[in-house]
Amino acid sequence: MTPEARFRAYLDAFNTGDWDGLREYYAPDVRLVIGNGTELTGRDAIMGFYSKVKLQTRRTIEILQCFAEGKTLAAEIESEFLAITDVPDFAPRPMAKGDRYYLNSFVFYDFEGAHYTRIRAATFRREFRPAAGS
Amino acid sequence: MSAGAGLRPWFETYLAAFNRADFPAFGDYYADDVIFHGQAAQLTGRATVLDFYHMVRSHLIERVELLSFVGAPDGLRIAAELRTTLIALRDWPDMPTGPMRAGDTRLRVSFAMYDIADGRFTRIRTAGFAPPRDSAA
Repeated sequence: MTPEARFRAYLDAFNTGDWDGLREYYAPDVRLVIGNGTELTGRDAIMGFYSKVKLQTRRTIEILQCFAEGKTLAAEIESEFLAITDVPDFAPRPMAKGDRYYLNSFVFYDFEGAHYTRIRAATFRREFRPAAGS
Repeated sequence: MSAGAGLRPWFETYLAAFNRADFPAFGDYYADDVIFHGQAAQLTGRATVLDFYHMVRSHLIERVELLSFVGAPDGLRIAAELRTTLIALRDWPDMPTGPMRAGDTRLRVSFAMYDIADGRFTRIRTAGFAPPRDSAA
């Protein structure tokens, strides 16, 4: 499987909520650094982080482009966060149920074999769209 | 410039020209209608981008170091992790990413995406990865 195909399968697992499948893409000691300064180490930390986000928002990630060289894949992704409840402490800004928040990010994924060992994301663009009528 | 494997040395030559403020050399990497979405400015056109950098270089020294590089096999895209060091030559209270005083140093790490056509950048976009670190003179 090419790194690009693996990445698409990884995000398919993310978008369909296949958490057991998702976990397998990470090296045991994977490091994740995301644009808001959050740093997580290890599969459990990452899965725990996503589980919390999942209770408050439905996140869907679209790949705008991805390509790999050596042991690094670069991607531009767009994440849509749909608030499924009021989320006053959502990291970028408070969200009310039905609000949507979009993040366009540039991300580097370092990998060894089939596992991501380091993931780093920087936010290129943010957009908040309130729920209709709010 | 060849696709794939030749992309990195081509890009490193660009950065070297940028770092020595060789405007004709690094300007030659920009398409006439290049779109530039930087953290300090959003610009269109080679002449406009070069004017911007002339203005910037009148206020500070800028050095860019390549930390990570991913070139697309088609030779049409580059993703780069860049560490930029800014050293203010004089006070610049209106500096777009925050005021600087003469002698101040600012470090920042960015992820940049480059689109390429016909051997030139057609679009450059950068996103801050780590908050800037300032050191006062």
